[in-house]
Amino acid sequence: MWIINQAGHRRRARARLLLAALAAALPLCMLLGLACGAVSLGPAEIVAGLQASFAGDAAEQSALIIGQIRLPRVLLAALMGAILGMSGAATQGLFRNPLADPSLIGVTAGASLGAALVIVLGGGLLQGYSALSAVSVGAFAGGALAVVFVYRLATSSSGTSVATMLLAGIAITALAGALGSLLEFRADNDMLRRISLWKMGGMDGANYPRLLVASLVGAALLLALPRHAGTLNALLLGESEARHLGIDVDRARIALITWVAVGVGTSVALVGTIAFVGLVVPHIVRMLVGPDHRVLLPASALAGAILLVVADTLARIVLAPTELPVGIITAIIGVPFFISLLRQRHHYGMQS
Amino acid sequence: MNRLRWRARLFAIALALPVTALAQAVSVVDFSGRTVALDAPARRIVALAPHSVENLFSAGAGGALVGVVNGSDYPPPARGLPQVGSFNAYSLEAIASVNPDLIVMWGSGNGAGTLGKLEVLGIPVYVSEPRQLADIPRDIRALGVLAGTSETGEARALRLEQALAELRLRYGSRTPIRVLYEIWNDPLQTINGDHLISQVLRLCGGRNIFADVASLAPRVNIESVLVLAPEAIVASGMSDSRPQWLDEWRRYPALPAVRNNGLFFVHPDLLERPTARVLQGAQSLCEQLDTLRH
Repeated sequence: MWIINQAGHRRRARARLLLAALAAALPLCMLLGLACGAVSLGPAEIVAGLQASFAGDAAEQSALIIGQIRLPRVLLAALMGAILGMSGAATQGLFRNPLADPSLIGVTAGASLGAALVIVLGGGLLQGYSALSAVSVGAFAGGALAVVFVYRLATSSSGTSVATMLLAGIAITALAGALGSLLEFRADNDMLRRISLWKMGGMDGANYPRLLVASLVGAALLLALPRHAGTLNALLLGESEARHLGIDVDRARIALITWVAVGVGTSVALVGTIAFVGLVVPHIVRMLVGPDHRVLLPASALAGAILLVVADTLARIVLAPTELPVGIITAIIGVPFFISLLRQRHHYGMQS
Repeated sequence: MNRLRWRARLFAIALALPVTALAQAVSVVDFSGRTVALDAPARRIVALAPHSVENLFSAGAGGALVGVVNGSDYPPPARGLPQVGSFNAYSLEAIASVNPDLIVMWGSGNGAGTLGKLEVLGIPVYVSEPRQLADIPRDIRALGVLAGTSETGEARALRLEQALAELRLRYGSRTPIRVLYEIWNDPLQTINGDHLISQVLRLCGGRNIFADVASLAPRVNIESVLVLAPEAIVASGMSDSRPQWLDEWRRYPALPAVRNNGLFFVHPDLLERPTARVLQGAQSLCEQLDTLRH
């Protein structure tokens, strides 16, 4: 008993340490993101630029670059990373499956199909928009429809089966992928290029209207999901055990799936598909501090935000003035880290 | 029986001989460096790219077209022609079934291995790959030769060359103007110096600000646009109307292109297709850029 207590104590201390470290690292990374770019600005110019843009005076070029380009971009990357990281942690907990990431329930594929549909069929209509582009709306609608469909498939009078839901998600992903490829035959060269660029994802469309949408959804999600931490912890024991603990599993599941769909759908709509953050960030955090969702959810959000901010900064500067797709960088930074952790813990599993 | 057949065959050869002797054998070197030789000018041509269809019409060989790909929308008579698929998903069977005596393929567009697959059909293949401005008249000329309409092709090619040379003479050495050619706004995409459009810019006395970037159609950073401070931003968009997103640059009033009303639109088909219509695109571009020189 004493040993267990002490292990638990150590783990809690470690969790607090990690949360503090992540919370300290995120602002630093964001400052780094503000400081780096195709144009090199000195610290004084950055401060002046920030001041000028907060004062609403955006005539200076440095103020423009900081206020109109880098600030919304860094903030958008942080919010998207947080949404993806936390959604990933919630999905893995909900499905009790280490492979589960939000794309598994069909959100990503549905959203991609929605976007491709708008790009190909919309054609010349893609003009009258500025903030939330038609493509984003298409993506969001596609993602939401896919989740509703998958959820319906998995739900019968006897409840919702997680296994069926995963399988249905895979089926819908395959179907949406096939329909997307079919659409690409209808697309001309230009549309093809646009679809492929969109799929690669990126923060370069960051502006304040998009940031506003991202902040509203992000704030709601980041507040709502941690309230289900206890449920997710109980679900780790098993579904019937969770029911015995008095948890309304079905209701919690609907709430979680809805939040994840909204979060991931929004992120795909705003910045395209950025794979990997939602899958691997929660794993990395879990390997560091264990599976307690009270820590795992906020820590995954912070770590996801850090990863995406750093990756986006690199995407901007590595080949400047050319932009790299951010998904390439998240994979290149994150995967080696993930593999090295895996090698240290051969017996890693969800139960840890 | 056998004898009869022999006699028939001899007769056929005897009949055919004078015809082949009359028809003029033609040959050209295509864009992949192969020599394309035909015993007689092509009468039934399949073209696997919209720009090839357009160039065949320019060369006076539009009447010989028996198969085109989707998107071959210019000139208008091209719209009614039988389709053999799309440029990236054509049907070999559909091509064979229209019984062509020449296939015009698109070197980089039809996909790797296309040449091999077409050659299996035993039909002569001409590879078209116009990358430079001077390649467009060359393509029209070669297609005219292959279709036996070399007079029309030659005349059209010469006219195009002269008109482009006139534009170059008139605008090429005027005060250089830094230009951003914006293919699309989100993501922000442009072209580098190897692209045909960049050559048209040069012809008009413009300078592509992203000429030195490595990839042909790079996604670029908006910050670097502010730093390179283009005096003109030319957008193409996807349709025949000026894209609204061109005005999003007005958020940056300090940008020379915004300050001096240098936000221009040129129809994408006039600049992005390597055909004779590039002349109209160049004319429009040169005139618009020149308004900045006063």
